Amino acid sequence: MGATREIFWNTGSAAVAAMYLLALVAVGALAHGFRRRRDIWRRGKPLDRTDHPLRRLSRLLADTVSQRKVARVAEGGVPHAIFFWAFLLLFAGTLLVMAQADLLTPFFNFNLLSGDFYRLYSLTLDLAGLLAFVALGVLAARRFVIRPPGLERTPGDATIHLLLLAILVTGFIVEGFRMAATELRDNPGLALWSPVGYLFAELFAGMSDQAQRVAHRALWLAHMLLALGFIAIIPWTKLRHIATTSGNSFFEPDEPKGTLAPVDLDDESAERFGASAVGDLFWKDLFDADACTKCGRCQQRCPAWLTGKPLSPMKVIADIGDVAETASENGLIDAVSRDALWSCTTCGACEEICPASIEHVGKIIEMRRSLVLMAGEFPGDEARRACDAIEINGNPFGLSGASRGDWANGLPVSVADGKSETEILYFTGCYASFDPRNSKVAESFIKICAAAGVSVAVLGKVERCCGEPARKLGNEYLYRMVAESNIAAIRASGARRIVTACPHCFNTLARDYRELGFDLPVEHHSTFIRRLVGEGRLKLNPAPFSATYHDSCYLARYRDIVEAPRVVVEAAGGRLAEMEWSGSETFCCGAGGGRILAEERMGTPIVDERLRMARKTGASTLIAACPFCLSMFEDGIKRSDAHQSLKAFDLAEVVVRSLENP
Amino acid sequence: MNILVCIKQVPDMEGHFTPNAAGNWFDETGLAWRMNEYDAVAVEEAVRLKESLGGGARVMALSIGPARAVEAIRKALAMGCDDGVHIEDPEALERDPWQIASMIAGFAAGRGFDLIFTGMQSEDRGSAQVGLLAAERLGVASVTGITAFEWRDGSTTVERELEGGRRCRLRLKSPALLTCQPGLNTPRYPTLPNIMKSKRAALTVLSPDSVGLESPKVSSENFRPHERNAEGVILEGDAETLAARVCEILETRTAVHGKGGAR
Repeated sequence: MGATREIFWNTGSAAVAAMYLLALVAVGALAHGFRRRRDIWRRGKPLDRTDHPLRRLSRLLADTVSQRKVARVAEGGVPHAIFFWAFLLLFAGTLLVMAQADLLTPFFNFNLLSGDFYRLYSLTLDLAGLLAFVALGVLAARRFVIRPPGLERTPGDATIHLLLLAILVTGFIVEGFRMAATELRDNPGLALWSPVGYLFAELFAGMSDQAQRVAHRALWLAHMLLALGFIAIIPWTKLRHIATTSGNSFFEPDEPKGTLAPVDLDDESAERFGASAVGDLFWKDLFDADACTKCGRCQQRCPAWLTGKPLSPMKVIADIGDVAETASENGLIDAVSRDALWSCTTCGACEEICPASIEHVGKIIEMRRSLVLMAGEFPGDEARRACDAIEINGNPFGLSGASRGDWANGLPVSVADGKSETEILYFTGCYASFDPRNSKVAESFIKICAAAGVSVAVLGKVERCCGEPARKLGNEYLYRMVAESNIAAIRASGARRIVTACPHCFNTLARDYRELGFDLPVEHHSTFIRRLVGEGRLKLNPAPFSATYHDSCYLARYRDIVEAPRVVVEAAGGRLAEMEWSGSETFCCGAGGGRILAEERMGTPIVDERLRMARKTGASTLIAACPFCLSMFEDGIKRSDAHQSLKAFDLAEVVVRSLENP
Repeated sequence: MNILVCIKQVPDMEGHFTPNAAGNWFDETGLAWRMNEYDAVAVEEAVRLKESLGGGARVMALSIGPARAVEAIRKALAMGCDDGVHIEDPEALERDPWQIASMIAGFAAGRGFDLIFTGMQSEDRGSAQVGLLAAERLGVASVTGITAFEWRDGSTTVERELEGGRRCRLRLKSPALLTCQPGLNTPRYPTLPNIMKSKRAALTVLSPDSVGLESPKVSSENFRPHERNAEGVILEGDAETLAARVCEILETRTAVHGKGGAR
């Protein structure tokens, strides 16, 4: 006997006609719902995120089909991926039925769903249904029973879980009744190809044919209504993420990570800067709110949230979505709250882990820009004074700019005069210039260069703060002021290549200054030293020591520099033990986002949490490659560790130590 | 209502001060310049008053100094002043308080200012005389070093600090001149639209002679760095070591120890 089945068996032509009609209604509701959402997205400013559409499309397909972003976090992510793949198969199976019924049979008189293909089709869909059922069960158990922190349980969530469950269960029951009334009697061999359906069929086998048919028809209708209902409610519920989260893979920024929206400071008619209303944000910012599934991953990685500060990246996005929905012209910043905005270290952990490609940091900066540029507000008076100091003295400490190069007195460093040709210009940065602890790092770096035969120049007193902390606080004007001054000074210096030991200076010079026409190669000392070691220019005599390396957010996350510093540490004799969160998933020291200029008044110090992770490795040396991180560690160790058994060093310092070993 | 704020551009006090060639004042090389912080408080108070009065009130910022003083005037405009006047005087830094006051009074006389705000003193010269002298020359009431200010129906109530932490409250009629000190307010951070506007604003530029510059009454004879005559010591160690070291220092370097009456 052949292997096939009668499509729309026992349903009756009226029900089928109703199904097509209702399907139109469902698709109409879907389209109408997304039109409504689109109206909300359009409350934002225009932004082109459709260039290179093929590249974007292939990213969308790769992200969505592979489920790689969501499955990156196994808990929740893997069952989601399994559910997705299973549901995708079921959806494809349904489309195949539709193609058979509406295309192949009437126009080509060809039965694709027959023979071995039908057997495989039956088996695949049956198992897909089972997998979807199991995965849904795991997801539901996680959300409603295990209840991990940060995962919400709204009536909407319950509804969606129940709806999906009902669709799967009614599907199997319909199948069971159909098989009980047909295959089980006429073609038991084929029935085995639908193992789950077979179990249900066995359950109903004892019922009369009439009862089976009545029950089948009723449940078919229920299954159909549930499935169409699912389609109809997509844009109206969190299910919209099916479109918006995958859509966000398409709309992802292609600029280098950390690129901020430009501010036109030359536009003399500009009266509004930053974002204080949804209309000041881009449409993509509002789209992001719809792409958010509130999975809570960002919150569980946010150093501010984890140390008791009132910032949840997830809530920031949700708050923006709420304000966008109510079409309120103001109140954006009040809705998000100033404390939340100022708590951000711009470490980017949220964006790194977000499975929906949401850009949290840029929005926070836009709102900070409004606070600083439109209202002169800062996270504290100390931050305002630091900005004043950067403006006047070129450094946040308010120390004399004329003494900026004093740390290099007596070291083999020349002050760039535009004539001498050194191999590199060392952009020292404020901390290495003025903070005695970090001046030791600068000194170490110079010793390394001397040992490797690299000639070094500095800008000396004409160097100013790179502007990064000010910019991240939202003070774009001050950033531009110092940036332009530095660019002019570097151009006048005759430098051809720049090295800096500060990831913040590095990102700013290498990426942000590009927007201002600066184009010299810029390197961080970690990759620079790595190259000196690799090329054999720097000879090390390593003596073994136990160490853990702390990835600076602005190196690891923003620039993917993870390996080079580790290679250097190991070349210097360090035996590395990794911390809980490392590499691109590193945990912030608390000083990013201009927070280095502000007091940490809320919650517990972020750096304490990082030091806890460092101590857990058992290493005696904590290595940083960033002056902000190093300062935070030194402060944290002094405050919390009476014995100071953990010692913090910069990468350059451990390298110098191995230079000096006999 | 017509308000005048007198501001001075001063070197940042963290700079390294070295004597000039004549040895009678400091050399400007390597110094960073900013608005005198006392004057920033004066600007803030003037702008707050203007804002509380709504339309009709205007604040004019006046500075005497070389070309770079324009930066301080623009800063005052960015903070909310309406008009800027620059008495361009390359030698302003070396002028004595009398000369500066003579120019302020020369400018303000006859212009009908209801209130004149200025800093209690400058950070660099610190004479604290300019405000008082200008008020005297103008023949208007003045209060120095105010820490609170209130304006009501043409009369002004201010507070100033006395010795021993006491304060007094004074009421005076305009026109009046008030010198301000930190504690009165926290000067605002200028907003970007105001900074942009201030950059475009046209300033009135006057010469010292046109506002009645007079000859000095005091001249600076000598400028030299601080002579170190005391040194700080930072002690380190546990409590016992610290206590022993303190006793040792008290014993060897002071007359306190062993006299039975340190308290």
